Amino acid sequence: MTTVPPPPPAVPVPPVGGSQPPNNNLVLAIITTILCCLPLGIVAIVKAAEVNTKWTQGDLAGAQASADAAKKFSLIGIGVGVAVAVIYFILVAVGIASLEFNTY
Amino acid sequence: MTETTEVGLFARTRRAIHPVVFPLVTGAAGVGALVVLSRVNPHEPGHYPTCPSLWLTGLYCPGCGSLRALHELTHLDLVGAWDMNPLAVIAVPWLAWRWLRWLLETLGVRRERRLAPPWVLWTVFAVVVLFTILRNIPFFSPYLAP
Repeated sequence: MTTVPPPPPAVPVPPVGGSQPPNNNLVLAIITTILCCLPLGIVAIVKAAEVNTKWTQGDLAGAQASADAAKKFSLIGIGVGVAVAVIYFILVAVGIASLEFNTY
Repeated sequence: MTETTEVGLFARTRRAIHPVVFPLVTGAAGVGALVVLSRVNPHEPGHYPTCPSLWLTGLYCPGCGSLRALHELTHLDLVGAWDMNPLAVIAVPWLAWRWLRWLLETLGVRRERRLAPPWVLWTVFAVVVLFTILRNIPFFSPYLAP
């Protein structure tokens, strides 16, 4: 419906080695593993390490795929962690409420 | 490269916000969480949920004890924090450093992103796995379990 702006001029493909390596998302992986206590973080660390390995081997597409996978596993882990916390606090709130109800 | 070609409301909204907002909000959330954590003691049961991995499997995961470790760190008890989770103690300064680099990058201080040699990350992986196994073995548990 709205006018889509014309696509930007094609960027010449940078030569191999001259382009920026992908973000390996190790920060998210470590946060998931250490601060979120879910083994999914370990999978994310493996994927992050794969990014560096594939990048040094010149496998740019593979490195990007591993970076995306690292991010995905981290976000799933953090999401599960947050969901567990939310459910816990809801149960505590309900438990306290029912406790008071029974007491009186 | 992909950022410049993104269209749609979400991408446009994101572009309208100055990039420095993202690390600042993240940093504020982190500091806020630490303030709560320093006041509400995780050593006393009932304040925080049990780690779901521990609850499901009965095994200590690499992150078990990190909440208590961070609580000790906010009280400047480095030894106590180390006893709870040494990996968390090591991770905190590194995460702070990555956050600072992120902040500087959004402020226009650009440095070319370089990846660490692969063996560094595989070592991190090996340490995390070894730590997880050892802290569940009774002989090492007094030193490594939270």
